[in-house]
Amino acid sequence: MVDKVKSVSEVVRTIPSGSHIALGGFAIARNVIVVVHELIRQQKRDLTVSQGVVGLETDLLVGAGLVGHLIMGGGSLDRFGPAHCVNRARETKSLRWEDYTSLSVCFRYLAGALGLSFIPIKSLFASEILERLEAGPGASDVKRSKCPFTGEEYVLLRALTPDVSFIHVQIADSEGNCQINGPRWGNEEQAKAGRRLVVVAEEIVSTEFIQRSPERTIIPGHRVEAVIHQPFGALPTSVYGCYDYDADHLRLYVKHAEEPERFQEYLKAFVFGCRDHWEYLEKLGGLRRMEELRAEPISGY
Amino acid sequence: MQVTEGTKGRNARSDIRATEIMATAGARELHDGEVVVVGLGLPEVASVLAKRTHAPRLTTLLEVGVMNPRPKDPPVGLPDSRSFYRATCWSGFLDVMGMNLHRGVVDVGFLGALELDRYGNINTTLVKDGAGKIRYVNGSAGGNDVASLAKRVIVIMRHEKRKLPLAVAYLTSPGFVGGRSRQELNLRGGGPSRVITDMGVLGFDAKTHAMSLLSLHPGIQLEALVENTGFPLHIPNDIPTTPLPSTEELRLLREEIDPKGMHLK
Repeated sequence: MVDKVKSVSEVVRTIPSGSHIALGGFAIARNVIVVVHELIRQQKRDLTVSQGVVGLETDLLVGAGLVGHLIMGGGSLDRFGPAHCVNRARETKSLRWEDYTSLSVCFRYLAGALGLSFIPIKSLFASEILERLEAGPGASDVKRSKCPFTGEEYVLLRALTPDVSFIHVQIADSEGNCQINGPRWGNEEQAKAGRRLVVVAEEIVSTEFIQRSPERTIIPGHRVEAVIHQPFGALPTSVYGCYDYDADHLRLYVKHAEEPERFQEYLKAFVFGCRDHWEYLEKLGGLRRMEELRAEPISGY
Repeated sequence: MQVTEGTKGRNARSDIRATEIMATAGARELHDGEVVVVGLGLPEVASVLAKRTHAPRLTTLLEVGVMNPRPKDPPVGLPDSRSFYRATCWSGFLDVMGMNLHRGVVDVGFLGALELDRYGNINTTLVKDGAGKIRYVNGSAGGNDVASLAKRVIVIMRHEKRKLPLAVAYLTSPGFVGGRSRQELNLRGGGPSRVITDMGVLGFDAKTHAMSLLSLHPGIQLEALVENTGFPLHIPNDIPTTPLPSTEELRLLREEIDPKGMHLK
């Protein structure tokens, strides 16, 4: 048995600046906040970030000025507000970005996960999304073509194979067998498309526990390079069955992200001002707050 | 009687909110046994109402990978755990958007929009102010996929001139682009079929693919609707009135589906 449990700082030290990283959250759920905070603390620059629907994690990285290229299908912080930093970066063109859709990003990961170099898709036609991709640097990733069998028109998408995929899961064993509770959006395709795969687990369980319900294992251990153990690791975003999102903190974040200067204050207080995630959790309100946010077992939130 | 915000004081029975008329009109567009991909907010409220009234065998899909949820608390977004409650299936994009929507088995895509033009093209990406300055808001997420691939699309949104412009500021999700047929555009789904606003219900002409008025909500003047529309609209000679929600529909909406008024305020 291989013990793959590592600290986040140890893992992030192995990520070179300029890497393509894929992030597993969706808007305000299961964000890899632990990893993103550490990427910011270690100032990993010029990152390419890909994600189906972006959320807080991507907004943090873009706001911190560490993203040079963004591949996204859309995204916001749901009712709490827009992804201000991502939107501002698009408005000021301070990074290279390509807008896709949830399904087309998922298909690009699927192609990568299957070891295919491309995949056909039926959506995107007659949209400004495709038009802009074809007119910009994204042109090397999309092509129109006919099916060689039926003659049907398709958009072909180049496979995405991120250097490292980061996914936040509820439970994993120390070998990296992961079980995700609740819907999984593009997690499986994204995880398996990665050249390297790192998971953040709320809880580390024994392999025997995994063996009791192997049908729930979404990511098998042999694909996982490292497991970061961090309870409340996705806060202020939610983890189904573990805890709810921290609505107060999300509102506070959005208020800061609205203005670049205020966003820097946020980073200072909640990222640079914290040695690690435990200190950050203390700033969020500590055990008392965690208790308030802890999920009720029937509803899962 | 209390005139609530959102009705703009225009409805005959002023205790009924415009959003309640919208949700009911949306629900009535869904048929029993259909498969519908819903966005959050009013589309979700309307699909739950349909399921609780005339369409108990409606299948509702959320792009994150949730089927037939029965939330007891209103969710703030698709990935909110509240929208996973009592679902019959949890999967992901590849299943819902790939093996259902892309496969061609989704009857209805039920969407919102920042902007919508006369050919049913949807913008959910950015807005431009009078001076042409761009402000990004979001992007497609699953919107483009749904608009491209669902057999028909229903859009639910507020009726304002700036939200219904001659041309959308960004064409995120295609309708009948340039008045062309879906086939000409290489789009597999049937395209927009209904637009439900807080002033009326609109449809699309079979030949020209341009938007036309189907019914006016009670108390709404035709002139006001035309004035709040940023493009020429086909107006029939005889304009029916959108039926008001029934007492039971109102009870379900207010007491069971959205008691906190998160989407119906």
